Amino acid sequence: MAKEEEDLGFWGDARQTRVVKDLFSIPPPVKKLFDRVPVVTYPPNPLPQRGPKTSRVPSLYVFSNDVDAAAGRPSFNPSCLKWQTFLNIAGIDHRLISSNNHASPTGSLPFLLPAAQSSNVSQEFLPPIPSNKLVKYASEHGGRVKEPSNVRYEAYQSLLDHRIRNAWLYTLYLEPLNFSAVAYELYVSPTSSSALVRASISHTLRAAAEAELLKQSAVIDADDLYSEADKAFEALSTLLGDDLWFFGGDKPALFDASVFAYTQLLLDDGLGWKEKKLCMALRRRENLVLHRERLLVRYFGGS
Amino acid sequence: MVFELHVWGPAFSLPSIDPHCLAAIAYLQQAVPRGEWQLVASSNPTLSPTNELPALRDGERWIGGFRNIIHYIAQVSQGQWVLDAGLSEQEAADCIAFSSFVESQGQPLLDLSLYVSSENYAGVTRPLYNTIQPFPLPYLTPPSIRAAAKLRTEHLGLSGLDIDSEEGSPKDNSIIPASLRTPRTTVSSLLATTPEINARIRLDALAQSFLGPLQDLLGEKRYLVSERQFSSLDCLALGYLSLMLLPELPQPWLAKSVRAHSPQLCAWIQDLSSRIFGPSVTPAAALLTSSSSSTSPDPSALPWKIPDTGGLLGITTTYLTTLADSLPVLGQHRLDSKMRRQNANTKTPTRDLSPASSWPTVTLLGGLLAGVASLAVLFLKRGLFEEEETRGGQGLDAFGEAGAALSFLADQMDEQVRRDRAQAVGGEVDVVVGVEGGL
Repeated sequence: MAKEEEDLGFWGDARQTRVVKDLFSIPPPVKKLFDRVPVVTYPPNPLPQRGPKTSRVPSLYVFSNDVDAAAGRPSFNPSCLKWQTFLNIAGIDHRLISSNNHASPTGSLPFLLPAAQSSNVSQEFLPPIPSNKLVKYASEHGGRVKEPSNVRYEAYQSLLDHRIRNAWLYTLYLEPLNFSAVAYELYVSPTSSSALVRASISHTLRAAAEAELLKQSAVIDADDLYSEADKAFEALSTLLGDDLWFFGGDKPALFDASVFAYTQLLLDDGLGWKEKKLCMALRRRENLVLHRERLLVRYFGGS
Repeated sequence: MVFELHVWGPAFSLPSIDPHCLAAIAYLQQAVPRGEWQLVASSNPTLSPTNELPALRDGERWIGGFRNIIHYIAQVSQGQWVLDAGLSEQEAADCIAFSSFVESQGQPLLDLSLYVSSENYAGVTRPLYNTIQPFPLPYLTPPSIRAAAKLRTEHLGLSGLDIDSEEGSPKDNSIIPASLRTPRTTVSSLLATTPEINARIRLDALAQSFLGPLQDLLGEKRYLVSERQFSSLDCLALGYLSLMLLPELPQPWLAKSVRAHSPQLCAWIQDLSSRIFGPSVTPAAALLTSSSSSTSPDPSALPWKIPDTGGLLGITTTYLTTLADSLPVLGQHRLDSKMRRQNANTKTPTRDLSPASSWPTVTLLGGLLAGVASLAVLFLKRGLFEEEETRGGQGLDAFGEAGAALSFLADQMDEQVRRDRAQAVGGEVDVVVGVEGGL
């Protein structure tokens, strides 16, 4: 019984495919018509004129304005400034391009677009390098990178990444005076001239800062944030002591860049801080102020 | 005036389930003379002006948060009850830096271990809250703590530990295109292993990056920053590390990491926690529900005091306040105004005990409304559905043992498939016949 069924199935299959083949074959008149119309493949469209051009120098995309970017002046965003300073310290030649988060494949600035290696630039695919891969990139491209290995490195790094960053977020975005005087001018005004768009961006920025701070505690306690940042500066000041650079190196390194990212912006009078609690806390630590000036003179021409 | 330290209740034979509460207990135990303070396992964060425990009550004054409590005690005692007083400049700087390190790196680890990991949360952490909070509150507290924990650990990309979540596809932050990414946890990989095993390497690296610097700092010393002096950093580290090492969880990856990576730190934790927190603490001992130990004869035991829940009315108020605080706009406003009131009273944070403004009445109304609406929803959702999910999760894990049942199922499915195939073949024959008939 089973065998019969199988045989039947086999024959049935063969017959069916023949029928199906007949069904799907193109009728001769139609085939003739198609033969007369050849398929043409057009060359790809050129890239838009204003698209980024691959250059011989790697491009670092940062928050900045066009004039400052062309002059290589410090970015006004701490994490951009950290990596900008790092590349300067490592001696990686680069150009700055003023940009915003929407340009970045990771959703946040900075990122580096590597230099084109050969002349046929259009064919080359250069993946952008997000900020957490920049140390590797620098060491692969002849940068002078030497990180001190120290028991305390991680701990003091966490002071910058949490205590000082939290106070920074608060003082820049959530202090109303500073927000309208500093953050509004830097992040909101350049993006649009429409009042509605500006209001929406301001709200988004402030809400994001607030959400970030509320992740770590149930309420935003401004006094606590400032006093913790004050203690953090105290600890960093003690760590630096009378040395030129952190961890007793003979040259600045990534940690110096991380500290500089905040000290430069807090001590920059050009930004027009109105509520200066955090700035004052920093100014009391003289060696941190001098550390900032050393880096500014050495890598940014003292501008 | 005797201080009252209000904390989250005991768990895992430790006096509290929260690292900062443990730190505050250790600090007061070391800094403040016995008899000058009492410990209350009130487990009610709405008492605190910063809406978090630990909170210190000094008469009518409330101080919230570990750091504020340290400052306040130092202030009140005129610099007498300070642990960090004798540290050198370098040691003080280390104390500040490592405190920040312990908090920022330790919190995500505890979050993942106790709250995000579904098995640990459903099996151990959530039921624990039933023992330390009065009845309706455990319906609100653990889920909200868990939500906060998930938010804090989102950037680590380990949300796979939570197999309860429905959405399953968190926002893509990766620059790797979807087609090249390795697939996320699928049902078959869940059957094969638990998500903790899948994420083992990442979790280990995370734990290692936390334990390494602490281990290096401890070295051969007796305490973390100094040989002879117990500092506030030791309190904080003890709080976090004891909650990593001591709990017995279904997925003990964190305790395993601690044991494997730093046996020295292990010994340090065990020694200190038994010395400072005394013998293991049970909820009954902390809440003084057993009548026998009303006067604790043991001098090493912590000075527990019966928490005053305020009876049914008190619990209801707490419940409604918690609900009101969790409302999107209203809750934030409430918390902010609470903060503002505290800041208005400047450096000595005081909680206004007789609120006279119109906002509390509005929020109470809002709370009432929300309470009535949410009660039904919450009881249904959290109480019934999540229970169901948990059971589902455990069912998955039990598959290994139910191998026989599975193979029987599989056999049956094979049979079914074979039958289907046979039918399909028969069907084709019919079709062909039909076509031929048509021709």
